[in-house]
Amino acid sequence: MSSHYEAPIRKPLIIGDKNYHDVTVDVARPVEGRANKQWWIAFSIALAAFLWGIGCVAYTVGTGIGTWGSNKTIGWAWDITNFVWWVGIGHAGTLISAVLLLFRQKWRMAINRSAEAMTIFSVIQAAMFPVFHMGRPWLAYWVMPIPNQFGSLWVNFNSPLLWDVFAISTYLSVSLVFWWTGLLPDFAMLRDRAITPFTKRVYSTLSFGWSGRAKDWQRFEEVSLVLAGLATPLVLSVHTIVSFDFATSVIPGWHTTILPPYFVAGAIFSGFAMVNTLLIIMRKVSNLEAYITIQHIELMNIVIMITGSIVGIAYITELFIAWYSGVEYEQYAFLNRATGPYWWSYLLMMTCNVVSPQVMWFKKIRTSIIASFIISLVVNIGMWFERFVIIVTSLHRDYLPSSWTMFQPTFIDAGFFIGTIGFFFVLFLLYSRSFPVIAQAEVKSIMKSSSETHKRIRDGIAHDTHSHPENH
Amino acid sequence: MRALYKTALLVVVASLFTACFDKSAPNYQYFPNMYEPIPYETYGESTAFKNGKEGQLPAEGSIPRGFTPYEYENTNEGYELAKAELKSALDSTAIDIPRATQLYTIYCAICHGDKGDGKGGLVQKEKFLGVPSYKDREITEGSVFHVVTYGLNSMGSHANQLSQEERWQVAHYVLKLKSEL
Repeated sequence: MSSHYEAPIRKPLIIGDKNYHDVTVDVARPVEGRANKQWWIAFSIALAAFLWGIGCVAYTVGTGIGTWGSNKTIGWAWDITNFVWWVGIGHAGTLISAVLLLFRQKWRMAINRSAEAMTIFSVIQAAMFPVFHMGRPWLAYWVMPIPNQFGSLWVNFNSPLLWDVFAISTYLSVSLVFWWTGLLPDFAMLRDRAITPFTKRVYSTLSFGWSGRAKDWQRFEEVSLVLAGLATPLVLSVHTIVSFDFATSVIPGWHTTILPPYFVAGAIFSGFAMVNTLLIIMRKVSNLEAYITIQHIELMNIVIMITGSIVGIAYITELFIAWYSGVEYEQYAFLNRATGPYWWSYLLMMTCNVVSPQVMWFKKIRTSIIASFIISLVVNIGMWFERFVIIVTSLHRDYLPSSWTMFQPTFIDAGFFIGTIGFFFVLFLLYSRSFPVIAQAEVKSIMKSSSETHKRIRDGIAHDTHSHPENH
Repeated sequence: MRALYKTALLVVVASLFTACFDKSAPNYQYFPNMYEPIPYETYGESTAFKNGKEGQLPAEGSIPRGFTPYEYENTNEGYELAKAELKSALDSTAIDIPRATQLYTIYCAICHGDKGDGKGGLVQKEKFLGVPSYKDREITEGSVFHVVTYGLNSMGSHANQLSQEERWQVAHYVLKLKSEL
């Protein structure tokens, strides 16, 4: 203990008087206990929304895409808006588990599990839009370069929509593997605590026979690091590829080179907001306030503030370049965003994304749970409108004035979106009651460095050296 | 027991990967979106027409563009008249002997023989007899055209296989064969 040095300015990440056993008990409690009434109410609402979404999708596939509000000019509207929105939300999970691991951020340990779950569940939502916005989704398998009887007819690898297929499927599978690898020690913990034969069976299957030997842990750490190293370029490239759907086009308002980093920043921005929304609720209902502390929320708010500022800079850059370009189409595209028929969506996007994260500069606001919660919701609304503005306002007014038109969503458009929100929460609610929502194995690894108890013990023992910090 | 399970599994997997189709019937289709025609096709069937056929006859007396009606009647008098006065529509530059050879080989030689001697494949196999040699008949380009158009005795009309221009080519080739016999 005396050999350990940690700067005294660091605040504890595990608060309260917790030992290793307490961590186990706290993490296992939601899984081992019974769901309360509120959970069932939330689950029923989510399930109803999900089923309604299934109905809307079935109606779309059965009847045709014409049930949506998209038209000949605006071929992409809510479908791709929601797709990009969900993919963006998914990005925070990988960022928290991979990028923050590479940067050795200890505070990630209490939130990475749920953030990764959020990634996986939201990528599943996202993946539905590329399939069901197809006119003939039953031929969706044609996007795969599979040898076939059409003279081995292949796909054209020049389309970013095909890159999307590879990006999203790789992203989902890598995230899933990364998540599951991290879950093994925690499932093993649940397996070892299981009292009914059924749960014993389930968690021993899920934990793949994890026994926690030194060699296992050594390899576990290596795999985590390698996967984090792989997931980091992946997370940057996935949303870059999504942005290529627009950036590689010739549409004024879409054809900009700033889109890839700007989309990624926006993805992190909206993703962290979603993590904040979920964790603020989860720490309360699952009694995990000792692990997901106000410091975690503050740090996430800081990330939101930074990425929000990057997004703000991107907005200003786009406006500057539009003016600077001398291209009247580009200039009109931005004039139209600000003053055209969808001015309100542009105003909403600007207010929610540029103004709202700036209040995080005030410590009072960024350490307030209620303010963080509200702002996290506002950010996600703003980021939905960002995608809507980029897609719809660029399409509804472009080169030929004779093709100018408007977009009006139908209830089927809305139903599909509501359905994915419902499905997301169905998955997340089930997850929160059956999975260890905090990576307890990781949290235990920072027990001695970052828990309130050990900091106090250390301060007590090492009180002499404390007055001479220059010794270190 | 384990071997039994494995065999059963193999059978199940094999049957999953085996397509079942009946060779005497058209195969199963996966989402036949644009397999069946929506418009009327020439040889298709439709209940929209009285005889159920999509290929309907044109109105009598109508003349399509690029077509000249044949004026001689399908009678002995018509035959004699055509033989006497009908002249080829082709001038010497339009006569295409190689193409005429091909047309003759396809539509005529099976009965009349490659040389026009009445010894075609069907005659040699004695499927039927009584095909005369061109040498034994008095024929002109007009009479050949008339016979190919209407047919004569056992011979049927070839007007639906050969266009007017092609019939003239064949007529010239027939006269060439006759001169070589």
